[in-house]
Amino acid sequence: MYRVKRNLGNTIVYLFLAAFFVISFFPVFFTFMSSFKSNMDILTTGNTLIPKHFVLENYSKAWELADFSTYTKNSIFLSFFCVIGAILSSTVCGYAFSRGTFKGKEIIFYFMVSSMFVSLGTLTLYPLLMIMKAVHLNKSLWGVIIIRVFGMNVTNLFIARGFITSIPKEIDEAAKIDGCSFAGIYTRIIFPLCKPLIATVAILAFRSAWNDYMLPMVFTMTDTSRMPLVVGIMHLKSSGDAASSWNLMLAGTAISLVPMILIYIGFNRYFISGMTAGAVKG
Amino acid sequence: MRKKLRLSDDNVQAFLMILPFLIGFILFSYVPIVYILRYAFTNYSGFGDCKFTGLANFVRAFKRDPDFWQSLLNTVILSAGKLAVEIPLALLLAVLLNKKLKGMSFFRVTLFLPAIISAVIIGLIFSLLFASHNGMINGILANVGLIEKPINWFNTKWKAMLILGIASVWQNYGINMIFFLMALQSIPQELYDCASIDGATGLTRFFKITLPMIAPIFQSILLMAIVGSLKVCDLVISCTNGQPGGTTEVVMTYIYKSFFGKSGRNIEVGYASAMALITAIFLGIVTFVYLKATKRLKEYEG
Repeated sequence: MYRVKRNLGNTIVYLFLAAFFVISFFPVFFTFMSSFKSNMDILTTGNTLIPKHFVLENYSKAWELADFSTYTKNSIFLSFFCVIGAILSSTVCGYAFSRGTFKGKEIIFYFMVSSMFVSLGTLTLYPLLMIMKAVHLNKSLWGVIIIRVFGMNVTNLFIARGFITSIPKEIDEAAKIDGCSFAGIYTRIIFPLCKPLIATVAILAFRSAWNDYMLPMVFTMTDTSRMPLVVGIMHLKSSGDAASSWNLMLAGTAISLVPMILIYIGFNRYFISGMTAGAVKG
Repeated sequence: MRKKLRLSDDNVQAFLMILPFLIGFILFSYVPIVYILRYAFTNYSGFGDCKFTGLANFVRAFKRDPDFWQSLLNTVILSAGKLAVEIPLALLLAVLLNKKLKGMSFFRVTLFLPAIISAVIIGLIFSLLFASHNGMINGILANVGLIEKPINWFNTKWKAMLILGIASVWQNYGINMIFFLMALQSIPQELYDCASIDGATGLTRFFKITLPMIAPIFQSILLMAIVGSLKVCDLVISCTNGQPGGTTEVVMTYIYKSFFGKSGRNIEVGYASAMALITAIFLGIVTFVYLKATKRLKEYEG
């Protein structure tokens, strides 16, 4: 009797989770399916999931006519430098904050961490643009990269400091006796030991750079040839012929989703551990 | 006597490694706030004259701009509404995933999927799913016989707000679920073993053991969720963009549009800065009150 009750309970659990599996997947699946519909089909048969005819041209048209090749290149450019920058900034700062013994280390650390409470999101977009305008970087993605890399991501800083603190100190003390300097220990010993940390930080940085919208949007407002994918998709939506280009927009959306989903399938462990690490420590 | 600083000194090297990031941090986190403080009391419009106008911007915001307060109220309603669904849902899913059953890691990975998608893309997908003419959701509802005529989801404020809420819950339940799951996994199994010896059943165990044990993490998860949803912006821009008639504008989109002169508004850097300042203070108050209130709650429990 107990067993029957328990089996029934488990079945309900599975049914509930399966329902949410469908809910989580459906919108993404719907997007991919719709991206193969002709514009006519999107507007008239939006209520059927599977396209009558699979129109592959959407992708070639989006790629060539609607500039999605440029957008993709820009997205890769932006993400690449944000990822490299995040790896360097988090390992360098994590190392210096973990092993450094200079005066005021704790104060500087908590000063930087405090930015979690003063981060005002969209409110500071305009000032950021003006700061970059002063150095003439307000019309390129370099401005976005510099802000993202040097603006410090507190979550990354926490993860990095925690990780490097967990590396036994004996290792760098041995190197120190052999005459290695503080910076030398970083490049020769700590950095090579940081592979799991680097994987986590790289994936988090890729996710936020690839998905970033407001900041790259205000930096590329006047110049479509510099827009990353997400900005390009929205640009197409808000341009005059939006209604006639839903198919291109959906193909573009699918193009922007594919790399993200592939990386998620391959590295979901790092995604999940990285995105939660900040919450638990903070 | 000051010690002479040398580049070969460990402490100098450590400080120099941090310095570029410290400068960047001050430049990109605190200078913008100073910028807002400076222009909030002027009539600056982005170019040309910049006159000090004292509290004029604040008088205007408080007395003559009901749309601003409307957007702030929308933000609060949207946040409260969607969190009331999202947080219990995420907790429930986490409790289920925490059962030692087969296939749970599969569900953990797949239910987390929405969290990796850009908020802009999510807004776009949901605006299409809920399209009024031949949209997917209307199609499903008609097929199961719930509606006869397609519903226009975006022609009144509350329907559009409902879609924003649904999209936002979809975007965030996965990540909150994982946060709760981590909290649940940190509870020692012995507690439950003792409780079952005492004859405690499912719900009692949940309220007497699980909830009190995860209370500290719950507090920070909820704080992040509250602040995060008050700062919602991308999702609204791509899903409704304030339509119909600016009634679903949230505070972040409203201020953004004043800074950059979007949606037919003038560029008013001075006035937008004043609104940004009011909003920043509002966010600060919410955080402060939340921390105070939950602290008192803890003291009652303890």
